[in-house]
Amino acid sequence: MSFAWTSKLALAAGFAILPASGWAQSVNISYLTHWSPETVALLEAAAKDYAKTNPDVSVTVRAVPFGDLLTTLRSQGGGADGPTIGGIYDLWLPELARDKLVAPAPDAVASEVKGAWPAGVVSAASVEGKLYGVPNEIDVYALNYNKALFKQAGIAAPPKTWDEFKDAARKLTNKNAGQQGFGMINSWAAGVVHPFASLLVSNGGELVKDGKPVLDSKQAGETFQLYEDLIKSGASVPAMATADANTTGPFLDNFVSGKTGMIIMANWWESALKTGMGDKFTDIATAPIPVGSSGDKPHSISYSWMTVVNANAGQAEQKAAWDFLAWLNNPKSGKNGASAMSDILMSMGILPSRTSDIDAHKDKLGSEFLSGYVSVLADAKPFPVVPGGQEFSESLQQTIEALQYGQVSAKDAQATAQADATSILERAAK
Amino acid sequence: MIQRYRASAGIMLAPAVTLIGIFILLPMLLTVWLSFQDWSTQTSFSSASFIGLDNFREIFGPTSVGRDFTGALTNTAIYTALSVALILPLSVAFGLMVYQHDVAGGTALRTVLFSTYMVPMIAVALVWSKLYSPSEGPLNQMLGLIGVGPQPFLSSPRSALISIVFLNVWQQVGYFTVLAIAGLTQIPGSLYEAAKLDGANRFEQFRFITLPLMRRTLLFSAVIAIINAVQVFEPVALITQGGPVGSTNVLTYHIHRVGIERAQGGLGSAMAVMLMLSLIVVVCALFALANRKDQE
Repeated sequence: MSFAWTSKLALAAGFAILPASGWAQSVNISYLTHWSPETVALLEAAAKDYAKTNPDVSVTVRAVPFGDLLTTLRSQGGGADGPTIGGIYDLWLPELARDKLVAPAPDAVASEVKGAWPAGVVSAASVEGKLYGVPNEIDVYALNYNKALFKQAGIAAPPKTWDEFKDAARKLTNKNAGQQGFGMINSWAAGVVHPFASLLVSNGGELVKDGKPVLDSKQAGETFQLYEDLIKSGASVPAMATADANTTGPFLDNFVSGKTGMIIMANWWESALKTGMGDKFTDIATAPIPVGSSGDKPHSISYSWMTVVNANAGQAEQKAAWDFLAWLNNPKSGKNGASAMSDILMSMGILPSRTSDIDAHKDKLGSEFLSGYVSVLADAKPFPVVPGGQEFSESLQQTIEALQYGQVSAKDAQATAQADATSILERAAK
Repeated sequence: MIQRYRASAGIMLAPAVTLIGIFILLPMLLTVWLSFQDWSTQTSFSSASFIGLDNFREIFGPTSVGRDFTGALTNTAIYTALSVALILPLSVAFGLMVYQHDVAGGTALRTVLFSTYMVPMIAVALVWSKLYSPSEGPLNQMLGLIGVGPQPFLSSPRSALISIVFLNVWQQVGYFTVLAIAGLTQIPGSLYEAAKLDGANRFEQFRFITLPLMRRTLLFSAVIAIINAVQVFEPVALITQGGPVGSTNVLTYHIHRVGIERAQGGLGSAMAVMLMLSLIVVVCALFALANRKDQE
């Protein structure tokens, strides 16, 4: 056979196998998260399990610090080459959906989520009734306290009311030993605002009602006053409260080293406490948020996280991403009827939000540390998810920090917070 | 003849002028145009709507947007002024030390000084955040040895910005020392010999020979130090996140927060324009001052 004929046959064979090779072409999707390397390894292992039944889809995981997550999503999510899947905080969703950075969930995924997750969590993952993400974790705030320090100070039980709370904070304070009664947080918006909001809702107040800020209420005024009282009495020291970009830093160091008696924090920091405290982690217990004089019972602020899909990714990538998320959050992908996602979350002490996952992890959720969080879930109030929510949160953070450092009085802080929130939410709603 | 000369000069200049136009002038003009628009960073330019001076009114207004912007502008000004005020004298002092031919280990000292400039800012920020740690930081432990109580450094709005300035000075001083040495090499040795014959002591030699003849080097160093300081971003993003109470919230970090995180492209552009104008004013004032001194 001449060279010319050989070439023609080879070309024809190439064209013949082209469609088949096109079908076999793999789809690469990427998953952006803020998780630690240990947790990323668990997600990578789950992706490998998925690849066993879906050999044409390859999932790569990329992690950035929490402080850089939104920036990365905003700066890279606008293009097809940005992350295909992103883990996001529910507060960010309205603006990411407005800017068409995230894709609405396909009908099959949406109906699965609506049937298998609590309605409040589904609503936090939706904008104008349209579901945009698969919810995974739910976080709620509770009082964490050091039992050893309580014993030393002669306090028998965790405080139930604000009066008991102030009294315990005073007794736990030992200036000579560099010990504070109650640890606030600063330099991190959620770390500042969520504990404040948890105290506010436990005093019968709210941050936002019907889309409008209500920080001018009597209950909010009392909450600002509580902060001022704790600072002025020396029971809370702002210099011990700083956080860094990884949501760790002195506020965490002071609690794990036994220099802070109480703190209000979310369940997800169980793994950070265990790492920092080792065997002394057993000294830590959880209790409901103390109730203010205007409140009826302990409440807490809750917020959720979800995974969203890049609206600018290719059709094949988007389809593969939703399929992977449906598998990852399905009760068959994990152990003993739990989803693979919930197994990953539970490794960090994070509460999964799918109803079947809560049942599947009943034993671990009954631990001394986590049961305190599970018990307050029913009365938790979701952090308001509104356009401008992130700016509102950062603005309130500035005001609370100014109060912490004695730059403004409780009265002025309340007036400033309400005025700023009104202007921010009005502008964002336009 | 002249026309042909002009044409060939134009042809030769065209590539450079085109590149400058595309990569420098166009983005600057675009930023100025966006500063008059209401625009989300995540949408196309065609979605921008003209709102006149509203963005500028907002950033100088009484709301949180205005307070945050003026706070960031003030922080940037303080950071820049302190950085320049520390870096320039230190670079001249180190330059004089290293430039002395009779000092043993001058080359080693020069290498050590310049090496800080080569360390990536991410590493510098991580190390300094631990050095400043209030509970386990070596700085506080050393202060404790001489009987000084623990200092809050990054945890107090009074000291956080100054702490970031020290970090910047530590990293940059080596580079400016090299510039100072370059300036010192330009001064003829004969001037010092003549001064010595006239009975001038070391201080007088420095005051009347070294300093006046280093004026151009110092002007260049000051301009570069100002531009570097105004662009500070990494230590704030990595260590303090602008806190506590916005005390380290410098303009570049604030523009990133407004323009990218919140996607408020119009507001962010207005802030960038104000930063650019402030920088132009300061640098022009510096050159005008130097020219006046030259004329005197």
